Amino acid sequence: MRAAWLLWSCAGLLMTAGPSGSPGAPWREHSEKSTLATGLPCIYQKDTSSPTTVVGLFAAGGKSAVPLGLDGLAYLTTRLTLEIPDEGMVQDLMSQATRLSLLCSEDFSAVLIECLSENLKEALRVAGKIIQDPLITGLRIGRTKEMMKLYGRSEEDESTAAAHNAVMKAIFPGAGYGTAVYGTEESLGGAIDRKDAVAFYRRFFTKKGLFFYVATDLDKGPVRALLEKYFAGFPDGEDVSIPLVYPALPAVRDIALTRDSKQTYVGRASLLPAPDAPGQAKGCLLETLLGKGPGSRLWGLRMTENAKSARASEALDRTLADLQDKGITDEELRTTKTMAKARLLRSAEAKASRLRTVGLYEVLGLGHGHLTGISEALDKVTLEDMNAFIRESLSPDRILRVTVGPKPAGATAR
Amino acid sequence: MRSYLTVTAGLLAMVMSAALLLAAGPENPGKYFVLDNGLRVFLYEKRDLPLLHVVTGFDVGSKNETDETSGLVHLLEHCILFRGTSVRSGAEVSADIRRHGAYFNANTGQDLSLFEISLPAEHAEFALRNQKDILFGLDLSQTELDEEKEVLLEEYNQMEDDPQRNAVDLVLQALFPGHPYGRSVYGRREVIRAATVEGMLGFYRKYFVADNCALAVVGDFATADMERLVRDVFGPLPKTGLRLEPLPMTVPLKKSVSQRFERDVREGYVFLGFVAPDYNHADQYAMNVLAEVLGRGVNPLLPALLRGERDSVQTVSISYLAFRFGGAAVVSIKMDPKDMATIQRAAVGYLKRAHNEAYSKKDFTGEAEMFAFDYLESAKNQIRFAVGQAEESGLQLAGSLARHLLLNTRDKPGRYLDEIGRVDSSDLRKTAARYLGKGEYAAVSIVPRKGEKQ
Repeated sequence: MRAAWLLWSCAGLLMTAGPSGSPGAPWREHSEKSTLATGLPCIYQKDTSSPTTVVGLFAAGGKSAVPLGLDGLAYLTTRLTLEIPDEGMVQDLMSQATRLSLLCSEDFSAVLIECLSENLKEALRVAGKIIQDPLITGLRIGRTKEMMKLYGRSEEDESTAAAHNAVMKAIFPGAGYGTAVYGTEESLGGAIDRKDAVAFYRRFFTKKGLFFYVATDLDKGPVRALLEKYFAGFPDGEDVSIPLVYPALPAVRDIALTRDSKQTYVGRASLLPAPDAPGQAKGCLLETLLGKGPGSRLWGLRMTENAKSARASEALDRTLADLQDKGITDEELRTTKTMAKARLLRSAEAKASRLRTVGLYEVLGLGHGHLTGISEALDKVTLEDMNAFIRESLSPDRILRVTVGPKPAGATAR
Repeated sequence: MRSYLTVTAGLLAMVMSAALLLAAGPENPGKYFVLDNGLRVFLYEKRDLPLLHVVTGFDVGSKNETDETSGLVHLLEHCILFRGTSVRSGAEVSADIRRHGAYFNANTGQDLSLFEISLPAEHAEFALRNQKDILFGLDLSQTELDEEKEVLLEEYNQMEDDPQRNAVDLVLQALFPGHPYGRSVYGRREVIRAATVEGMLGFYRKYFVADNCALAVVGDFATADMERLVRDVFGPLPKTGLRLEPLPMTVPLKKSVSQRFERDVREGYVFLGFVAPDYNHADQYAMNVLAEVLGRGVNPLLPALLRGERDSVQTVSISYLAFRFGGAAVVSIKMDPKDMATIQRAAVGYLKRAHNEAYSKKDFTGEAEMFAFDYLESAKNQIRFAVGQAEESGLQLAGSLARHLLLNTRDKPGRYLDEIGRVDSSDLRKTAARYLGKGEYAAVSIVPRKGEKQ
């Protein structure tokens, strides 16, 4: 399963990279993928930078797998797999500082287990028990929905998140990608019920829909043995592939969310090609070129155009148009590659942040080895390729405009 | 660019700095030395990735400002980062930074200004020379200063639009009235608008000197080589003999204060501040464990209690901010605005009674001991876990080390995790009584504007 198209406005999520496998990779220890005796795939990476272990159990069902009108189903179901029914189990986890949490993104949902490595056995014992036999009851669903309503409201207080959600909804109308991760008033108010959560769980929490990523200072053998012992209960399951969905620009290319804030958020979103390795490398370069660090193309706007949102908006359009028209030089491409590679390396330095990246690459079909492969893919991008990519991606007919802030005089706001 | 007003960042820095520096031993590749000009240096090898992280800190922050200079340190930090030197313009510095694949940033807090650069380890020499150049060679025109003021004033707006950052800033102002920590790190708009090059450079020349500076380098290098490079680059800087007079320590509020602000938000936010031990105080370890037991970690006591009161309570956390001349325990609660008064009362009531709690199994006898949950041991494990996690990020380590070099005044503070290990249940009760039980508090609420749809 893979997202066919990406937005450069959210490319940060998809471009954060890191290691594995191939010679010359920056990591001392490379990631390895194998299949456990239980049939579940497992990506293991030794990392002795700390005495902690991070285990991610990835399910290939994120927002993309959410049926129309059931916004929040992926998050709700994954959250329910973490409900601990037994007070004794809670106490065990608490006393050992083991953390269970979840991620729910466009293409996957994941349960994260983070612990001191010395406590891994107990952490996996408890996690295995609750994740493989979750308590999906009406009462628990009701409580989780209430929590999701709060999270959703809180997200609306943040302009960047609100803008991102509005763009996704606009370009994926009627598709899972366009749903709200924490649900809507309608979906949480009644549309989602117990049978939906059970169906989602049964579909994705299977040998065909799951895989592990483990980053740890412990040796591979004992870790594999624990995973095999405590996660042996998942059924084989059916095919979990999700039909590709293509984004479409809406007829109205302006989204304006009104907020009585001192600052105005001004953004542009553009549709990018599907994230195969070369395409993802070019997307990563475009993101770095435009908006990463001092000296990036958008950095200049900070100096001169920050006072008025209208001026900032015009300046942003001018900057994008200029880049689309003239492209970049060989030297700028070289500098951007250096910057992008170092950035990717830093973003995957810590185990937990690396886990997100590896999980995403695996789900997108790029493979865990892309953590290293991205560096090679960046090197292969030629000036001609890059300028063609820029011309296409920043073409005005592919751009959606989004503003979050005070209502401008005479504008129609949502 | 950033501010240390982020509660969690402050906490992590506190935990990490002590933990790492004091962990240095035969098995640990850390090395501490002081250059002849007074610049303090800590080198720490972290060789899992070919990256280098350098953080340079100065003992200057909002604590060194007055009402007339409030905001200048933050403005100065921006100018140093982005406005160039006598030999390179700001644009040239930015271009150099990009060419070397560097991440480049800075932050200003109550006590310190920290400047960080992180890049591929092969560019170590560039990193050190670049930082020395921008930090000790600022050149500024009035036009450049005026441009940077506009940027800073926008950052001010950004902070005010963010209820959490805004609330922490306000609660610290309310908690330390009359003390330099009671000034906002962001400063006063009118001071920023009126700043002159002459005034800025006067401030800069006083504080941005080698003997008021600490350097932490973490990453993929051999210590002996890096020491030579550091001495070569920073050794020639002059010693100025700067001696900063210590500030008075913060004192508890005489009377609790409550402030309420309306913003365009959908949630309600309550922040409670209590005066807490300073960075070098013996109570800091117990305070850290207490904050973990009450408000952080896997399943702390205060959130459990407040969620029992109202389902609408979304997040509850306690952060311990340890400054050089004082400290603050800040409780942050996000919830449905309609429940704010009830929840604030419940939170304050509980914290004032926290000195009566049983935190450890050892507080019980007989059968009760078997069933009691050991919050103390849990918190200690959580701190160990947090320290372990923080060791994974080189830049975070370097920042914590630089911070510790500048804030620590103890000769032999002891290994951090050992000190945490020695905290017992009675220490927690004494600390709770001392800082939460008797002390008055400052409360800041941020609520939706009246008439706005919930």
